[in-house]
This record gives sequence, C-alpha cells and structure tokens, in this order.
Amino acid sequence: MKPARKILLVDDEPWLTEGLAASLTCREFECLIAVDMTSGLEILQRHEVATLVTDIMMPPGTAFPKVDSSECGFIFIDQVQKRWPRLPIVCLSVIADQAKIRLLTKRGVRYLRKGETPLSTAVEVISAVAEGRRVKVRPS
Amino acid sequence: MNDQTGTALDSQEVDQLRAELSALKLELEETKKSTNQYLQNVAHQLTAPLNAIKWNIEAIKDEKIPIPRKKNLLSSIYSQGTILVHLIKNFSLMSNLEADHELGQFRDQPEHVHPLRLAINLISDFQPQAVELSKKIEIRMETFDQVFGAESLLVVKNLIAQALSNLLENAIKYSYTGTTIVVEAVAKEERETPWRGISVSNTGLPILREEIEMLQERGFRGSGAKQKIPAGTGIGLYLANKVMRLHQGLVIANAKGPSTRMTLLFPPDRIVQEEHS
Repeated sequence: MKPARKILLVDDEPWLTEGLAASLTCREFECLIAVDMTSGLEILQRHEVATLVTDIMMPPGTAFPKVDSSECGFIFIDQVQKRWPRLPIVCLSVIADQAKIRLLTKRGVRYLRKGETPLSTAVEVISAVAEGRRVKVRPS
Repeated sequence: MNDQTGTALDSQEVDQLRAELSALKLELEETKKSTNQYLQNVAHQLTAPLNAIKWNIEAIKDEKIPIPRKKNLLSSIYSQGTILVHLIKNFSLMSNLEADHELGQFRDQPEHVHPLRLAINLISDFQPQAVELSKKIEIRMETFDQVFGAESLLVVKNLIAQALSNLLENAIKYSYTGTTIVVEAVAKEERETPWRGISVSNTGLPILREEIEMLQERGFRGSGAKQKIPAGTGIGLYLANKVMRLHQGLVIANAKGPSTRMTLLFPPDRIVQEEHS
C-alpha cells in the first residue's frame, strides 16, 4: 500500500480547519497539524510533506519571539520558500489586502479566502496542488 | 510699540493653536486607527466560529467521512456555537455596562442564585470546548458546601453567569494542553470584609506581573496572550469587573509563573439564605 501523502495544516485555531482535515483524510491524505510557525517548521524538518496550507495571523511560537503575530504567516512562507523551494503552498486566511495577496500569488502561493471559499473548493484546490495536477474547480 | 507687541503675542498664540491642532489631529488619527483595528478584530472574532460551523456542516454532508469523525465535527459545531453566543452576549452587555447603570436599572432584577448550580451549568456548556483542546474543567463541589452551605447569591443571574463564563473562556484559551481547569468556592478576607466567591484556576500562559493590574482595562490583552493567540477582544475581564462592581463585588487576579487564578468575590450582603419554594 502506498503511504498517504502528507498535508501540513498550520492554524492557531485548529478547530477551524477540522472539517478540512476530515475531508482531506478521507481522500487518502494524512493531515499534520501545527498551531504556530515554530511547530510548523519542526514538522517540515521531520516529514516529507506534499503541500503546506497556512494561515497568516498566527503565533510565531517559541523560536521566534520577536515576530509579530499579525504578519507571522508571511515570514513563515518566506522561510519555507527559502528552505523548501519546491514545496507547494496554499494560504488559507482572511486577509483582504489585495497588494499582499498579489505578492503571495507572485511568489507561487495559492490564496484561498477563509469564509468565502466553500469546503469542497478548498479540498479540490489543496488535493490538486498536493497531487501536482491542474486545479479544476466546479462552480459552487 | 503696543501694536507690535500685540501682533507678536497673537502670532505666538496662533502657533500654539496650530501645534495643539496638529496634536489633536494626530490623536484623532491614532484613535481612528485603533478603532479600525479593534473593529477588524471583533469582525474576525465573530466570523471565525461561523466559518468553522459552515465548513463542519459541509464536511458532515460528505458521505466519505466516517460517522465517528462526523460526531467530532458535530461536537465542534456545538463548541463554536457556545463561543459565538458568549461573544455576542459580551458585546450586547458592553453598551449596558458602559452606560454605568445602577443594578436596579437593568431589565433583569437580582434573584436567588445557587452558586454550585450556576457553576455546574456553565461548566457543562464549556466542557466540550475544553475537551476539544485536550483540557478539562473540574469542579470542587465540596468547597461550595463548605463556603456557601445553605446560602445563595442575590444577584442578576445573567450578568454573573456572563462574568463567570468570561473567566472560564479565558482559562480554556490560555491554559496548556493536557491541563485541568479548577473551579471552586472560596472565602477571603479582603479590605476588612469577609468575602465569598467562585474562583477559576488554570496552568498556562504566564501573565507578567506589571500586566496583572491592567487586565481589567477595556481592550487590554497581555503581551503573552497577544503573541500566543493573536485574535481576542480584551473585554472579558473588563466586563467581569464591571458586572462585579454593579454587585459591589470584586474580581481578583492572581498569577505566578504558569499558575493563574481569577476570583469573583461577593460582599456579605449579596449572600443570603436560600429561598424555599
């Protein structure tokens, strides 16, 4: 049996992504959960992850006490792209600043807006990114 | 000569007024900025549980997800509902409490409230939320017998319930995973008065000594709390304090290292013999 592909979900309120984790798990992904930037980086060091799904506003954790939590996700993405440049990243957040979203997109990060993206769309996008296939999103 | 002096003084006054005006403009900008940030924070607090509920419902409809997992999702929906109701109650309380009404001006009037029953009811509401985060809430029932015996509180039930809920919510939010939150009745001699009340203790995020006094200020959040959990309104303890003051009571905050204890204290005339129906 093929080992399950791993998806790392980083969100300081993990119950918010519980439905997402349940949907991905029954589609043969293994979901790893981190609640801050420090634990996210630790998991990435220990596991071969197919896709990273991260929030923006989250605590930096013990290793980065000076990082501002409101911008932490940007610094996290920056660090991940430097250390694991081929790891696909999906950003799942409520940020509305178009300039920041454009900046993320420019860097190859897919952006999904929490609250506006149906779960089925998020699952489809994340699965496609993890499997390296084109994203086909049906209208909801 | 006089004219020149008069002009010089006027221009000084104008300069001073200009400086005051720009200081006020700056202050206004700062206030606008912080109000904006606060509103964004409030909006985030309200939408986050709703988003979780929406996704959980969508996941429950997914036939591929096994039943035990669906049960977890249902329990999570319940917890998010509790969070949401609690949050909305806090916001609606704000306007009443900000107006500095006397207790008699509230729609609900003081009634006999059994402290143990009140604590049990609130704990059962918050327990699923605690369990979801691998924490638990324990009530020391024997302390209620020792401290209150056959007496009850003469208070506005909804207000006191909200104050105690705020303490429970903070304890769940800021305690370490795997720890137990303890609720007990306490008797305390404070300001030469024998107070009695309910305390909520937890082991978790340390509170800086210099921040303890500020915890009950409107919108204040400790630096550790902000760093660990970015989203938060900072009104929980502020409201608890307002509610207790309305009842001539107190909120006492004690923190040492990872141990935090928040206590609602009632004065002797708010503790009365239980009503027998």
